[in-house]
Amino acid sequence: MRVLLYGLLGLASLITVVPLLYMVSLSLQTEAETLSANAVLVPDAPQWGNYAELFTRAPFGNFIVNSLVVAGGITLAHLLFDPLVGYVFAKFRFPLRNTLFVALLATAMVPFFVRMIPLYVLMANMQWLNTYQALITPFLMDAFGIFLMRQFIQPIPDDLIHAARIDGASELRIYWSVILPQTRPALAVLGLFTFVFQWNEFLWPLVATTTPEMRTIPVGLTLFNQEYFTLWHLTAAGSVILFVPTAVLFLFTQRYFVRGIALTGLR
Amino acid sequence: MSPTLSRRDLLRLAGAAAAVPVLSSCAGAPTAQNTAIPGTFTIYWNAGHDYQAYRKVIAEFEQANKVKVNLQKYQWPDLRTRLLADFASGTVPDLVEEPGGWVQEFAISGNARPLQDFVDRDGQAMGFPSDWQPVTVERNSYQGKVYGVQLHFTCNTLLYNKAMLREAGVEVPTTWEEFLAAAQKLTKDGVYGVALNQDHTYVWPWLNQAGVTPYDPQTGKVMTPAADAVAALQFQADLVHKHKVAPVPVSGTDYSGPQKLFSAKRAAMILTGPWDLDPIRKTSPDIELGVAPPLKHKVQATQAAGVSMFVPAKAARPELSWDFIKRITAIEVEQAVTKETGMLMPRVSWTKLPEVQSDDVIKVFADALPTAKDNGQQVRLTGQLGKWEEQLKVMYQQVLIQNQPAAEALAAFAKSAEGFLT
Amino acid sequence: MRPRTLQGRYAQTAYLFLIPAILFFAAFFYLPIGNVIATSFRTGPQADQWTGLGNYAQALADPAVRHSFLVTAVFAVMVVVGSIVLGLALALALDQPLKGRVAFRVVLLVPYLTSVAIVGLLWRNILDPELGVLNRVLLALGLPGQQWLNTAPLLTIIAVTLWQNVGYTMVLFLAGLQGIPETYQEAAKIDGADAWKRFWRITLPLLAPTTLFVSVMAVISGLQAFGQAYIITNGGPGDATDLSVFHIFNVAFRARDFGYSSAQSVLLLIVIVAFTLVQLRAGRRGEVTY
Repeated sequence: MRVLLYGLLGLASLITVVPLLYMVSLSLQTEAETLSANAVLVPDAPQWGNYAELFTRAPFGNFIVNSLVVAGGITLAHLLFDPLVGYVFAKFRFPLRNTLFVALLATAMVPFFVRMIPLYVLMANMQWLNTYQALITPFLMDAFGIFLMRQFIQPIPDDLIHAARIDGASELRIYWSVILPQTRPALAVLGLFTFVFQWNEFLWPLVATTTPEMRTIPVGLTLFNQEYFTLWHLTAAGSVILFVPTAVLFLFTQRYFVRGIALTGLR
Repeated sequence: MSPTLSRRDLLRLAGAAAAVPVLSSCAGAPTAQNTAIPGTFTIYWNAGHDYQAYRKVIAEFEQANKVKVNLQKYQWPDLRTRLLADFASGTVPDLVEEPGGWVQEFAISGNARPLQDFVDRDGQAMGFPSDWQPVTVERNSYQGKVYGVQLHFTCNTLLYNKAMLREAGVEVPTTWEEFLAAAQKLTKDGVYGVALNQDHTYVWPWLNQAGVTPYDPQTGKVMTPAADAVAALQFQADLVHKHKVAPVPVSGTDYSGPQKLFSAKRAAMILTGPWDLDPIRKTSPDIELGVAPPLKHKVQATQAAGVSMFVPAKAARPELSWDFIKRITAIEVEQAVTKETGMLMPRVSWTKLPEVQSDDVIKVFADALPTAKDNGQQVRLTGQLGKWEEQLKVMYQQVLIQNQPAAEALAAFAKSAEGFLT
Repeated sequence: MRPRTLQGRYAQTAYLFLIPAILFFAAFFYLPIGNVIATSFRTGPQADQWTGLGNYAQALADPAVRHSFLVTAVFAVMVVVGSIVLGLALALALDQPLKGRVAFRVVLLVPYLTSVAIVGLLWRNILDPELGVLNRVLLALGLPGQQWLNTAPLLTIIAVTLWQNVGYTMVLFLAGLQGIPETYQEAAKIDGADAWKRFWRITLPLLAPTTLFVSVMAVISGLQAFGQAYIITNGGPGDATDLSVFHIFNVAFRARDFGYSSAQSVLLLIVIVAFTLVQLRAGRRGEVTY
């Protein structure tokens, strides 16, 4: 049984990881190797210079800083707002609750590019184009995060809240000291996925920036294409760099998914 | 947020947050902006066209006009997304490079500025339109006015591997029959005689050679004569599915499949434009590259391509934009770009330059340019090009990749297209 | 004014907490969505001519629109079911005290950490029958080559999507499993319930909030899948992978018919709302409190 389990997990991991290793391989190939029709598995001589070339051909350092500021800022905003709103939907009874909740979910049902032009006009009118606030403000919270937090706050026993109310704690105090500590795994998930999503976001940074220096990594990477073909070695190198921070973040958050840590403080 | 925050504090915070947009839109403080920054000139450009020769022009332009150029480089689809958002908001760049066809589209929609006043004033001195190949002027005009100026002018023709043809004892084909025979002889273990492109625009040289008219606004008919259109489509599908001298193409967003097979010596012939020359030389410098004129069936013809420039209608300083167009289309610049990259240019006088005449490859392309046709023109003028392209792509792939009978697929396409074009 | 009843006071607190959210969603979601609805009644490249319900009538009669909805439905069903089943199975496996489970978790989530665009380009490079690295390996091993992008294009992009998303549902289920107190499992064990029974009677019901979340969000995003068609197949061959949102994107930004694209997005919105309401209702019935 155990052997079978390991076998299946190993196979799944192999299927996930091999294509990504191929990306790393691409990032170390020469331009000729990537353009060749005889796909190269392992480069003859690893071209570490590809990574340096990213920085000489484009303001790649700026791209990294911009991506960190934007994705980081949005993630912090989500961690601040989403749990509070999710808590309200999970634990309060108030008129129009279900209607408001469906209305909230509906915001996730319209593709972003459909809203993009009205949003762009709004930002242009506010003279915010090409600024960090234009890149961050439209994403301060979303239905995904609020729904996620609602679902994870719901199972917390109501008795805990009642007890705190009887002790005379203010509503914000209850949220902060009773609810939030119970939701650490969910907060870890929320932070991780919000960051990943925003880190990889393409369309909005594409239209909301007007100088190369304000671009984020995904938008900046399009500079490494020619009119009719992709400069694969550089695109792959950029993708590997793009991948590193999200992987590090996951390494930090994954410990919250280990049984035991989650519920300390409950009993 | 501190845990002791009271409800009233929270309210105040929310109020402040809500007030932010209102305040800043009232203040209207000029921050970094799209166009209206005095001293900045914004250009949207293709990321693949950032040539040294153009850098030099930009530097001279900055010097002469005391402005700073903000060169925004994009891929074509991204540039279009960006531009449509700009048109909606009214903050537009000063000059836009486009991949062909957008000039008339935006002239019709009122988003492009007519340049006829400038042409009337400066045309003689700069040689526009007299020195431009006629088709390049026609495709950038609307209702008798010029709206754009062609920057590069390219076309499709036949590229072949000289060594492979020599070994197989095959002459360079000039007609469809010779082409098929050559492809059959060249196909052997691991090598295809020819590789066709998954992109539907590569259908046009064949249709042009079969004498097909894409759309006739007089009769409202598309793809006439229909029998010739069917024959042209079926000929390509047969290369893949019947004669098996070409691999099945794979639908996608890039056009480089055939070039890669050619570079790897796994395809002996491809039909493509000058954009594939550079990657071939880079990856396989040992290939003896041959370039031949477009094939002849009923006529000898090919598809016109290449980029143009236009000025958005709301651009603030059209004089400056025009000055930039004049500088970057000067014959000396064209010459420098050809020397730097091998790119083909729209001036008639360019075809007579020694760089063109003495270069085996460029000369073949240059000689083919006068037979190049713009196949989108008539459809574009109806304002329905987007729908047309979408359905043409589906039809082309159904025939070429999915092996549907050409007659059937084309009839369905024609029925639908004739419905929305009239 | 202070409401007199306790219930009234809670309602007041709730709305107070919701104020920032309401303002935010009004400005950045409902205003633009209102704009989209208004646009759906207009036509022309600038979307400035009134056409009433013309776009809707056209969309309902358009075979390409119908076809794209069908393709999307197949795609969404398979991705939703696949990612829930596989994600839950992996989460249950990796919730056990296995050696090396941290490494497995990290590896399995890795594809989700990159963008759809990069994953798409990568798989395109791998699967291309002539140029891809997979056939090179297969042929070297003496195995027959594949042409999946041509022979089973929709299934191929479904598989790639699952490849990328399974780790994500796995993490959500893992987080959900942490919320189930171990005492329940132990009590059941003492009562003599086997692992299979414990899964159906305890784990699954207590996981209901997570499952509801995962399935609602999976349907919402599955019906809005876009990058897979945009990057890998360009909707082809023919129209085999013409996903709805990809189709709408092309109508908007390639054909520049924002009125028509807006009408199609409103129709899609209606479809997704309907699915979600059904799921929420079913979910409410399944929710249990202990």
